[in-house]
Order: sequence, then structure tokens, then C-alpha cells
Amino acid sequence: MKSTFSLLFAGLLIVVSPAELFSQGSTVYASVLSTKLFVVGAANPETGLYHQQSSEDTVWHHMGARNIREFGVAVHTPSRGQLICLASGNGVHMTTDGGSTWKVTTGWQITEVLAVTIDVANPDFMLCGTPYGVFRTLDRGTTWVECNNGITQKFTSSVIIDHSNSSILYCSTEDGVYRSEDRGNTWKRTGFNVGGVRVVVQSPRDPNVLVAGTDDHGIYVTRNGGRYWEKCEAGLDHLTFFTITFDPVNPKILYAGGYMTGVYKSTDGGVSWMRKNVGLSNLNLHSIAVDPTTSNRVFAGTQWGGVFRSDDGGDTWRNVGLSGSQVWQITVQPF
Amino acid sequence: MKQVTFVLFLILAVCAGAYAQIVNRETYLKEFEKRVAFVTSVYDTMQATGYYQIAVRYAHNKEIAVADRMFKELLRDPRGDMFWMIPSIGAYLVGKDKMSAETKAIVRNAWKTYAPYRGDTENHWCMYYSALFLAAEQFPNLPGSEWYNGKSSDENRQEAKEYLIHWMKITTTIGQGEFDSPDYFPEYAMPMTLLSEFAKDPEMKTRGTMMVNFIFADFATEHLAGQYIGGYSRIYQPAVFKPLLSGASQFAYLYFGTGEPTNSGWIVLPALTSYRLPEIIYSIALDRSKTYIHKERKRVRNVIRFGSEKNPPVYKYSYVTKDYGIGSLQGGILQPIQQHTWGVRYLYGRPYTTIFGLHPYWSGYEVGMFFPEEVKTLIADVVASKGTYNNPDKWTGGSPFERTFQHKNTLIVLYDIKPGTTTEHIDGFFPRNLEERIVDPSGWILCKAGDTYVGWYPLQEYEWKEEFETPSNSLNDIGRPQLERVKETGNWRLRSYKLQNGYVIEVRSKDEIGSFDRFKSELRSHVPKATLTPGSVSVRYSTLGGDKMDFAFPEKRTLNGTPQDLSKTKLFDGPFLNAEVGSEKLTITYKTKKLILDFKAVKVIE
Repeated sequence: MKSTFSLLFAGLLIVVSPAELFSQGSTVYASVLSTKLFVVGAANPETGLYHQQSSEDTVWHHMGARNIREFGVAVHTPSRGQLICLASGNGVHMTTDGGSTWKVTTGWQITEVLAVTIDVANPDFMLCGTPYGVFRTLDRGTTWVECNNGITQKFTSSVIIDHSNSSILYCSTEDGVYRSEDRGNTWKRTGFNVGGVRVVVQSPRDPNVLVAGTDDHGIYVTRNGGRYWEKCEAGLDHLTFFTITFDPVNPKILYAGGYMTGVYKSTDGGVSWMRKNVGLSNLNLHSIAVDPTTSNRVFAGTQWGGVFRSDDGGDTWRNVGLSGSQVWQITVQPF
Repeated sequence: MKQVTFVLFLILAVCAGAYAQIVNRETYLKEFEKRVAFVTSVYDTMQATGYYQIAVRYAHNKEIAVADRMFKELLRDPRGDMFWMIPSIGAYLVGKDKMSAETKAIVRNAWKTYAPYRGDTENHWCMYYSALFLAAEQFPNLPGSEWYNGKSSDENRQEAKEYLIHWMKITTTIGQGEFDSPDYFPEYAMPMTLLSEFAKDPEMKTRGTMMVNFIFADFATEHLAGQYIGGYSRIYQPAVFKPLLSGASQFAYLYFGTGEPTNSGWIVLPALTSYRLPEIIYSIALDRSKTYIHKERKRVRNVIRFGSEKNPPVYKYSYVTKDYGIGSLQGGILQPIQQHTWGVRYLYGRPYTTIFGLHPYWSGYEVGMFFPEEVKTLIADVVASKGTYNNPDKWTGGSPFERTFQHKNTLIVLYDIKPGTTTEHIDGFFPRNLEERIVDPSGWILCKAGDTYVGWYPLQEYEWKEEFETPSNSLNDIGRPQLERVKETGNWRLRSYKLQNGYVIEVRSKDEIGSFDRFKSELRSHVPKATLTPGSVSVRYSTLGGDKMDFAFPEKRTLNGTPQDLSKTKLFDGPFLNAEVGSEKLTITYKTKKLILDFKAVKVIE
């Protein structure tokens, strides 16, 4: 069954061209960690994974468990959302049928999962980041193993599988950004050793370009796979960034947000930034995503303020629902 | 009529409770059954819908149809995560042979459709996996499609068993993380008694029984008439200043026969099981004929950032007499939010039977050590359920700027608070019902609480504030009912704003020193000598007992010229409980009796 599934993905990659694949609009997924009323054990409001069936949609539809402290979501694009993984307090949840059924693939050892990612080309390979470090599966969640060899501060808030070479991985931790060249068997800290890295993202075009956001230390960029990092300062008045995203069509354009920052936008690959907050009534951001089919359409997930959307590349924003929610991650998929 | 009987029983029980005597097994069991009847009796007629009402109706074979109806009603929309899992599986196990087939099917379906959150702390995981283990045993051989998490019965049972064995191992090697919590004691006692009673797997049944014995033995050595003594990992207000309101005290009433009778829900399911406390444990709990020192090593809850060690040690020291107990943790951040670093507790003057102090500190850094959400917004997350966390008047919490040094019934507490810290003062709690609270010209504050005398020597200037009550119906800043009162009418708060600070505490009973007058006169000639400059906070003090204590913040403790090494503290060390770190073996001793809980061999040796 599993091999059939893999073959199906491979077939999609080969047979369907990107233009065809991405020709049917987009789907927005929002991972809601909590509302401000969350208390463990109480009659909490519904949280978890929501989606809009197109980015024009005005209604959010809930999927899966409704109260599992969901941090992150990874949607496997080639399968058109049949394969989705959730990073949650209960572990890594997975569906292989577009959300009809779910399974927690991890055991008791893996808890409070903050981030999960799926290898686009080989969805059997996944990584997750947790407060206890990085865990890896090579058999699509049947077994997960800890892979923290070389990481000194294990708290991991984001993980990357290099889209050009899946042997290369990155993760952001409490003492910098780490890189592995052997699928996580060993890790070495990159030239970036600033504490409290909250997020690291990779350019969709040049795999050697990565951008990291930190707690209290601002934004840094590397253009050589992590060897050297430069601090981005021009135009930035804030220092704590939880989310950074590239425009998938034009990677010179980036958006960033964090603690009381609102949205910052760069059009020169992170060298300089400008604030883009018109209409954004909640400046406390945790997630930003760009619609790959309409890249002027940008979504921003806030802390307890729900989701905002811009249709003009961040110039103006309006609330599009999930009010009161802490939206930890958003992803927009081209299907 | 039932109400009158209840009130009479209550009065008798209150009178008898605090002075319970050690009795033979037969008498104990007879009295125990009376207490079981008391704590469960109101539930079989209670009309409000709840799992305890359901369980007791099944157990008492009364109004089965009502129990079935309540079960169905509650399972229409289950909520509460592990706080749902434990009582619901407990009620099911008690009533499964009496409930209708339809109710059974509804219960089964709930485990398929409702996905509880596993939680992020030890008591959550303990309840979650105990309940899941029991449910997986009850509903065997089902595929993942029949369970909320997509795992089969066998996978769920195996995972739950692995976690529980892991938890028991770390608890019996490096200590419990949420240790000695007056408020969270039930969250461990209930799942373990359910395992003890209902686990089909013989190993887990034995382990459940051993673990209940373990946590009760721990409690039995450190309580005074139902009040937990000393430092704790977690406590809520108002139990911190009304100790007998805590959940642990309810268990002390049922199992030790001491303290005040209550019939809170947490006690109901354990009361319905056939678990009975071994004689040796309740004998320890009730024997305060000799004063003793009891030391323990516990552990800090999982540190996930801002630290190099996952579970640093906690060292606990308790001095227990028949009239009072004084106990302390070494200080620093040992638990998030609700730590109680030290306290004196005594028999006199309910409900306010305690004196204690703290630095009411809070920070994103502290909660960031233990919780994975963003540090910058974590305080708002925490305040949603722990409404007093960032209140400068709060009465719970640890501080990185606080350290203690205890020897017998003398305690020194020092502070070297960094300027700009969230709270730049320290507080002391003095209850309104003290018979005496005298500010002596010598500098000592001299308190009399019945036959217990407490001296508090502040090392810096201070002021008194009278507390006024927070209305019980007030709402916190997110509009939820305030769970914890910050202030209680008429109690006294000692507040000092000096950053380099501290105090010396001396406690004696009438039996130990003869009279309050003698206590006062002796203390007047025992004045501490302190150095209080930033980065150099220390005190030299000769105790009433003639010992010389030198303490320099943070960790330099010297007793009669000998440096004290807390790292040598055993898992348990005292006249009743002994265990080496790493041993997985607790030896319980009382007079000529011995009980060994050997978790490595999963064996109880008498």
C-alpha cells in the first residue's frame, strides 16, 4: 500500500507539469494552536487545523482533532493534500486520505512537536522539531528516531529538508542554526550561533540562501548554505521574529513578522525592509504565507487575532476569520 | 435527615480527625469503611450530572438508569482531555457489568471519536496513559480506525505501559518532578489506584499498587494532621494559606483518618476500589511521638531551554514534630509558576495554619524554561489558567534570587535580587489568627500559634500590610472566574523592598522550649549578623539549639564549620523512608516492621 502511494506521488511529479498541477487555484491551511481561553482540561473552544478550499473562500473548515495543541502543519504538495502532517502536543498526526482519517504516528517519547516537514520528492522521509530535539522517519511515520548528534541545545522550532538535495537538512535551535549533510545522522552548527532562533527558511530558488528570525536578535541571512550570516538591519525596528517567508514566484521578496512587529516586507532579498501594516489590527504575528498562484495574495496569522489577508502584496490587510485564534502556522498550497 | 447525619458526622470527624491515633488493622479497616461511606454517600443521590455521581450509583447499585442517562448525556460532547479520561474510564470500570448495552456502546464510541489532548506535564501524562492503558485493556483487539488516535488497541496499550514504566522508573531513581504537591496529589493517587484495582496485566496491577504505596509513603512522612509539610512543586492559592483545603488533605482524611473530612470528587473513585493502605504507612502517618528530620531528593520538571540539565535535582529538608513541621527546598527556580519554597505549618488555628515567605517573581524566562510556546507571549498563556502568576501580590512561586539553608528547626532564607526584576520586593505571610505577633526591639517578630512559637528575624527594613479579600466572584483579565484569591481578609503581609535581603526563622514548640516567654527571651540574644551588598549576601547565625550556621548566597552553606554538600542527598533519608538515588527501591520502616517496594523486580517484600 505504501509503495503504491509513493509511486502515485512520483507519478504526479513526473507526469503532471507544475503549470497543470497549480492550475486549479489554491488551498489555505491554518494551524491554530489555541485561543486565549485555552486551559488544559477545560471545555476549550475548537482549535487545530483549518482550511479554505480556495484562497477566495470566506469560510474556514475544520479538519482532524479539535484540541491537541497543534503548532505546525506540513502539506505534501504533489499529493494535492492527501498527505498532511500536523505537529502537535500529542505528537505527529498524519493523514494519507486528505483528512478523512488520521493517525498519531509518534509514541510517548515525542511530545510538544513544534514543526514538521515532508520531503517533497520522497514523502517517506519526514523530520520533526521538538523541545527535545529533532526526530526523523524514513518510513512515513512507522518509526521515528531521535537524531540530535552534534546539537548542543536541543529545543528546535523549525526544520528544513533542502529541496535540491534531501541529504541536507537545517534546523533552528536555542543556540543557532544547525546543518546536516547526512539526513540528520550528524549535525554541525553553521556560522550562525546567535541564541533563540525561532525560524529558519530556505529560498525556493537558491538552496544556499536561508533566512533566520530570532528572539531579541533580529533577522539574519546567509547566501552560502550557512557558512556566513549577515544581520539584516535596514528598516527593521524590531528584534523578535517568529515567521519569515519567501514569495515562491519572486524570492527577492520576503515577508517577516513576530512579536508586536506587524508585517515587514523586503523586495531585495532581505537587505532592506519596510513595514506594511495598513489594516492590520493585530501586530503580534506568528505566521505568514504567500499564495503561490497569486503572489500578491499574502496571509498573516496572528496571536489571538485570527488571520489577515492582503491582496496587494502587503500594502493593505483585512481580517479573514479565525478571530481570537493563535495561528501558529499558515501554508497556501497550489491546488 | 441525611443532612443532619452528615453534619453530625462532620463535627465528630473534625473533632477526631486531627488527633487520630494509631489503631490495629481491624479497627483501621472498620473506620476506613465508615470514611468511604461518608465520602461516597452524597454522590449516589446527587442530581448534578458527573462521572463521580455515575460511578457511585453503579457501585451502590442505585438508580442505574439515572447513571446510564448521565453517562450518555456527558458523552454527547466529551471535554476535559485527561481530566475526562480518568473519571470516565473509572466510572466505566466500576459500572460496566451494570450499565446497559447501549451505554457501553456509547462509552466505547467516545474513545473512537473524542481526541483528548495529552497535556504537557507529569500529572497530565500520568492520567492520560493510565486511562488509555485501562481503556485499551477493556476494548482489546480493535484496529486503529476504532480509536481516536488511529492506533490499535494493542499499540495504545503498549505505548501506555511503556510510558507508565518509564515514569515509575524516573520517579524511583531521581525523584518525582511534580513532587509533594498538595493540590496535584490526587492526579497521581487516582490513576494509580485505578491501575491497582482494574489493570488486567498482572505487572501493571502490581506496579499500580506499588506506586500508590510509594506516593502515600512519601506523603505520610511529611504531613501534619493532613497538611503537607515544607516545600512543594505546585500549590494553588488559597490552599497555600489554608492548607487543609488541598486535595492531598482529602486523601489524608480517607486513608490516614486525620485532617478534615471532605467529599470532593477526586477521592470518590479511589474510595470505590479495594485498595487499602498498608498498616505500616498509616502507622507512619499517625505517629508523631518522636521528632524527626526527613530529607529527600526530587527533580525539576523537564527543562526544555535555558538550561543544560533536563532534570536538575531538588533537595528537600523537613523537620517534623507533633505540633509543627518546617520544611524547605534549596531555592531557585525548581518548578514553574506554583512553587512553594518553604513554610512552617502547625496544628493551631485553622484554617490559616502556616507562616511562609517568598519573592513573588515571574518572567518569560521562567516559563520559557518549561513550556514550548513563544517566550514573549507565554505569560499571557499562563495567566489564562494561573491567574495570579504575574501578580506582584501572589503567594506562590519560586525565584532565581532566593536560596535557603535549613538545619533542624532553624531556617535561613537569603535574596540577592537583580535590579529591574519583575518584582522588587519580598513578602511574608502571617495569618490573622495568630495569638501573638510581636515586633520585638531586638528585631525579632515573635509569633505564638497555640503551642507552636515562630520567630522571624528580618535582615532588612520592612512594612506591614493588612490583606483585604478579593471577591470570590471576580473575573480574571480574560473574563474567566478568578480561580485563586490573592488576598484574604485580615491576614498580614510583611513586605520588604530591599533587593539584598533575607530572614532567619526559628520554630519551637512548648514541649521543646517550655513557654512562649522563654522562647522570646532566648531569641533576643540570638541576633544574626548579615552582609547585604549586591553580589555579597551572607549571614552568620548561632541557632537556639547551639549550632553555627554560615550561609552565603547562593550556595555556600556551612554548619558548625563544615561545608554542606546537598548533592549527597539520598532519594529518601529519614527514620521511616530510605532509598538511594538510582535504586528503584524504597524501604519503608516503622519500628520492627519493614516494607520494601522494589520497582526493578516489580516486587513487594515485607
